[in-house]
Amino acid sequence: MRILLAEDDPLLGDGLRAGLRQLGFQVDWVRDGEAAERELRAQPYTAAVLDLGLPRKNGLEVLSAIRQARITTPILVLTARDTVPERIRGLDLGADDYVVKPVDLDELAARLRALVRRAHGQPQECLSAQDVTLEPASRAVQQAGVAVALSTREFDLLHALMLNAGRVLSREQLEQHLYSWGQEVDSNAIEVHIHNLRRKLGNSLIHTVRGVGYMLARDTPTP
Amino acid sequence: MPSTPRSLQNRLLFGVLGVVVCVGLGTVVMTWRDVHHELDELLDGHLAQAAAVLVVQQAQTVGEEPPSDGADAPVLHRYAPKVAFQIFHEGELTLRSANAPATPMAAAGKDFKDGFATVSIGDTAWRVFSTYGAKDDVQVYVGETQNSRDSILWAVLRSTLWPMAIALPLLALALWWAVSRGVAPLRQMGHALALRQPDTLTPLTLDGAASEMLPMVDALNALFGRIALLLEAERRFTADASHELRTPIAAIRAQAQVALAETDDALRRHALHNTLAGCDRATRLVEQLLTLSRLDAADAPAMGDVDLSALARQVAADLAPKAIAKGQTLALDAPTPCHLPGNDTLLAVLVRNLVDNAVRYSPPAAHIQVTVRQQDGHCLLRVEDSGPGLEEAERARLGERFFRVPGNPEAGSGLGWSIVKRIAAVHRLQVQVERSTELGGLGVWVRTTA
Repeated sequence: MRILLAEDDPLLGDGLRAGLRQLGFQVDWVRDGEAAERELRAQPYTAAVLDLGLPRKNGLEVLSAIRQARITTPILVLTARDTVPERIRGLDLGADDYVVKPVDLDELAARLRALVRRAHGQPQECLSAQDVTLEPASRAVQQAGVAVALSTREFDLLHALMLNAGRVLSREQLEQHLYSWGQEVDSNAIEVHIHNLRRKLGNSLIHTVRGVGYMLARDTPTP
Repeated sequence: MPSTPRSLQNRLLFGVLGVVVCVGLGTVVMTWRDVHHELDELLDGHLAQAAAVLVVQQAQTVGEEPPSDGADAPVLHRYAPKVAFQIFHEGELTLRSANAPATPMAAAGKDFKDGFATVSIGDTAWRVFSTYGAKDDVQVYVGETQNSRDSILWAVLRSTLWPMAIALPLLALALWWAVSRGVAPLRQMGHALALRQPDTLTPLTLDGAASEMLPMVDALNALFGRIALLLEAERRFTADASHELRTPIAAIRAQAQVALAETDDALRRHALHNTLAGCDRATRLVEQLLTLSRLDAADAPAMGDVDLSALARQVAADLAPKAIAKGQTLALDAPTPCHLPGNDTLLAVLVRNLVDNAVRYSPPAAHIQVTVRQQDGHCLLRVEDSGPGLEEAERARLGERFFRVPGNPEAGSGLGWSIVKRIAAVHRLQVQVERSTELGGLGVWVRTTA
C-alpha cells in the first residue's frame, strides 16, 4: 500500500516513514501543506497521514481543499491537538480518522489498514478471492489453508488487486500502488510480478484485459 | 483585628443630621442671647420710665400729707403683681404698690445706689431700678419679678425650639430616604459583583451608575480585561507547550519502535541516533519553556552592571565548537568594553539565543559575525550571518511562541525568539531584525534605548 505522509517535523517524519516501511507500506513523505495537497491531487494514494500543524498550508486547509476537489483518498489526521472541538472540526472537514501524538506505529498501521478496508467496502480485515485469503496485518497469504510465500511486491500487487476486486487496474495504477518515490521501476516489472503470482497461485485468479490492465474477479456470492 | 466597615449611608445620614442639629442649636443659643439682651434693655427701659413717672408724680405731691403707713396703689392688671414700686421720703415709705414689701427692695440708706440691681425678696428674684426723687431725700424703687422676664424668654425659645423638634425627625426621615436613594447604585454594583461567578471576567455593565462611580467601574473593567488577557495567555501557553512537547515525544517513540523492529544494523543505528536527537530536542524545548516561564514569573530580575563585550566573547567561545563542527566561521568584533545595566544571566541567554540561531539556521561554510559597539552613548550588539535570511512576512512573525520558519530542516523549539524578545523587553532593549547588508543573511540588532 502506498501512502502519503505529510509531517513537518524531521525526526518524527523520518521515524514514521521508517516504521511504516517496516510494516509493509510504501511511504512518500512531504514536509509542508502545499506539497501534500499537490501530491494528493496528483496521485491515487491508498491513504494519507496528515499532520495538522504544517507550514505553508495547515492540515485542515489541505483537507478541505482536497475534499472539495472530490478526492476520496482515506485520510488519517495525526496531530498534537486533542481537544474535542478540534477533533470534531477535523472529522467534519473530511478526515477519516483522528489520532493524537504520540502514536504507536502498529496502531497507526492498523488504523491505516482499517481505513483502506472501509474505503474499499470490505467489512473484514481478511481479504479473500476464490480459495486465496490475504491478511494485510500479518502480510500472510494462504491458498486452500496452505501458506504461500510471496515477495513484498507480489504481496502488494495481490493486495491491490484484491482490494479492487471486480475493477480493472492499469499497469500505471499498479505501479503507483507498488512504488514510492525514488524507486526504480522496470518497464515490465508488473508483468513479471503478475507472472510470478500466477505461477504460485494458479492461472484462474488474475485476469488480463488486453490493452487495459489486470483484474481479479469478484467472488460470486455462494447461493 | 480588621475594623468593621462603616456604612456610607449611615455616615452620610448622621453627618448631615449632626450638622443640622449643631446649626439648629447654634441658632437657638444666638436667639436666646439676642432676645435676652433686647428684652433686658426694653424692660429695663420700662422700669426706668416707670421710675421717672413716679419721680415726677412724687414731686407734684410734695406738701400733701402722705398716708401714714404709705398708700397702696391699686392693682390694675393681672400682670401687676409681677411689678412693684416703692417711694421713700426721708427713709419713710410714702407710696408703694400692693405687692411691694414695706422695706426698700434694693439697697437703701448709705448703700443706696442709683441704677439697676437684681435682688432676692423672699424666694423671688427681682429686677429693681433705684433712683432719687426730685430731691435727694426721696428714693424711688421700681421692681419687676425676674421670672416674668424668664417666662418671656422661654416663650420665645419654645417658639423656635418646637418647630425644630418636629422638623428634625421629619428631616431625618427625608434624609434617610434621599441618602439611600443616592447610594442605591453602589449597593446595586455590590450585588452585581457578588452575583458574578468567580471566573467571570466580562466587563461589568451597570444601568444608572452614578458618574462618580464610573471611574471605579472603568477601573474594575480594565482590571477584569487585564486578568482575562493574562489568563488567556497562560491558558494558551500551557496548551501550546503541552502540544509542542507531543511532537518530539512522538518522534522519540516512533524512532525507538523502528529501532526495536529493525533487523538491518545500519538502519537500527540510524533510528537509535534519531531517538537520541529527539531526546535532545525535547530537553531543549523543556529548558526553553522553563526559561520563558521563569521570565514570565520574575518581573524584576536583579540588575547590575554588565559588560556586553565580555558577555559576547563568552558566548562566542561557547558556541564556536558548534560552528566549527558545521564548517562555519564565527567571528567576534568587540574591541572595547560596553557597559549597560542589566541581569548578566538573562543577557547571556539573549546573546546565546541570537548566536545559536545564526549557527543553527545558517548552512555549512557560512560566516557569522558578532559585533559589539558603543555608539552615541548606546550599546549596540549585532549578530549577522551569511545564511538564507528570512522573508519580511516571516521576520514579522518571529517571536510568536512556537512559530517556526517553514521548510527549515533544523528542528527548533519555536521559543528562542520569544525568549529574546522577553529579555529585551525586561531590559528596555530595542531589537531589530533585517537583512544583513554585509553578509546577506539575517541581521539582528540589539540596542539600548535609555
